Amino acid sequence: MFCYKTIMITMKRLKIVALTAVLGFFAATVNVNAQDVAEGEQIFKNNCAACHNTSDETLVGPGLKGIGERRPLDWIVKWVHNPQAVIASGDKYANDLFKKFNQAQMTAYPNYSEDQIKSVIAYIDAQAAPAAPVAGEGGAVATTPAEGSSNGGMMQYILVALLGVMILVLVALLSIVSSLSKLASVDPNSDEAKNVPFFQKIAENGKKLAANSAFKTGAALLITLLIGKATIDTAYGVGIHQGYAPEQPIQFSHKLHAGQYEINCNYCHTGVYKGKGANIPSANICMNCHNVIKRESPEIQKIYRSLENDEPIQWVRVHNLPDLAYFNHSQHTNVGGLECTNCHGEINKMEVVEQRSSLTMGWCIDCHRKTEVNTKDNAYYDKLVELHNKENKEPLKVQNIGGLECSKCHY
Amino acid sequence: MFTNKTKSLLVSGVIALSLTACKDKHNDPGTEFAPNMYHSVGYEPMSQSEGDTNHINPYGMNMRLPVKGTVPRSNFGKTQSDSVNAKLLQMDLIARNIKSGDMASSEAMLSNPFAPTEKNLESGKEQYERFCQHCHGEAGKGDGLVGKKYAGVPVYSSDALKDVNDGHIYHTITHGKGRMWAHGSQISSADRWKIVLYVHELQKQ
Repeated sequence: MFCYKTIMITMKRLKIVALTAVLGFFAATVNVNAQDVAEGEQIFKNNCAACHNTSDETLVGPGLKGIGERRPLDWIVKWVHNPQAVIASGDKYANDLFKKFNQAQMTAYPNYSEDQIKSVIAYIDAQAAPAAPVAGEGGAVATTPAEGSSNGGMMQYILVALLGVMILVLVALLSIVSSLSKLASVDPNSDEAKNVPFFQKIAENGKKLAANSAFKTGAALLITLLIGKATIDTAYGVGIHQGYAPEQPIQFSHKLHAGQYEINCNYCHTGVYKGKGANIPSANICMNCHNVIKRESPEIQKIYRSLENDEPIQWVRVHNLPDLAYFNHSQHTNVGGLECTNCHGEINKMEVVEQRSSLTMGWCIDCHRKTEVNTKDNAYYDKLVELHNKENKEPLKVQNIGGLECSKCHY
Repeated sequence: MFTNKTKSLLVSGVIALSLTACKDKHNDPGTEFAPNMYHSVGYEPMSQSEGDTNHINPYGMNMRLPVKGTVPRSNFGKTQSDSVNAKLLQMDLIARNIKSGDMASSEAMLSNPFAPTEKNLESGKEQYERFCQHCHGEAGKGDGLVGKKYAGVPVYSSDALKDVNDGHIYHTITHGKGRMWAHGSQISSADRWKIVLYVHELQKQ
């Protein structure tokens, strides 16, 4: 039985054949074979799938599960060839349908023959047939939790192994301490040494060490260096938000949207090629997909709530270039042709957005010194490139067109 | 034993380290020197300056919705030739007066201001990749990564869609159709027309 199921899952072709065999028993009226189903699938996916499900769920139009039994074949053929004519003829079922779906017209497909329509019905019935899809789903359901637990198990093993290593290190360190103290103090075999408690021995050794002038100087030097480093690090970190990854009001994942689903940055950040700012999307852009996708998620519900109450979603700003410097996105993305990841890092791998670049002046200038100007197909630069090449062997870089001038960014 | 000097040095070292070592790095942007130079005094469209929030608008927002009944006039003239620009403006005005449910008027009255030159098509393809591809797929077969999940994304070359005209496609992008929602707010009208050019290419595939 298991073997049979596995074959069903892995070999789609065989599934269709098996399904049609099953169908042959139950629906003796329609004579179908695998080829019909395959042809039907092709036609359905190209033409019908935009508005109809093979299940009984409504997409744009009604779900088509069991359509072969719901309506007589000649009615279906007439409807597909010219739905408007069927409605106009006063057919009750057609008119009810027309009203139910807000008078939306179905496209007429006059070119499909009766046989082709039959094979589409065969495909719909094959999709709806209970036997094989249940087996497939069952298999999928069975494997998913197993994967999850195996991941969790792996993590646990790693943690246990780490703990083991740490204990080993601790034991090794303790043995070193005890043997050192034995060497440093009195003869280890004497009674005195045996009676002194372990921690007291360490304390005594500590006192001796503290009295050592070389050790004192070393310790003082080390501490001074550490304080110096901490001070310099803090001072240099003032005003630099690198690594800042604030918690957002909605747990939006760029990893999912930009990474897994490959939605272009520009789809939501509509200003990135056109304006100074990249723009944070308004909720209507979220709704373009989330009017259907993941409607039950509590995070998505926050978007619905914001729309219903006409409240803005208060995202926390991650990147803030100081107001004393001017920056324009379109200048860099559209004219310069830079990728978003150039400055923002691998956004498509970030669950929570983090500021990857330092956004310091040194960082800007460094790039302006290295980067060549994108002069291709831009008549503005033609003469400039010509003049530049007369005196220079290096290609035209941003620094040559004023990329290092103070007033370019500070004004 | 430790002298007082070394003791104080040790203590200050520990304090300095503990102050710098552990902080809530993720939610804290860190110290800012002269914050009034970091946060714009003037109102920036999406700024979130603390202290200087906008007290006039609701929720302290700086952006306002356009006044009802006003129509933005894009500066087409700077990027397009005069004749194309004139047609763009004309089409834009007509399209703005067509209601979202009135596909027939769009089909009858709108036509593309852009000619299908190689450059325009390339630009259309670029816009298609940015705004359409994740649902409609690379070749317009409705098999984009998001499209598979969203369901009900049509095939451009299907019998129902292979012959739809400029106005139909423009109307669909602007107002949506069937399961697709309106994208007019995201894409400028010039870019929409370029996408229309490229979709015509995909209808042939």
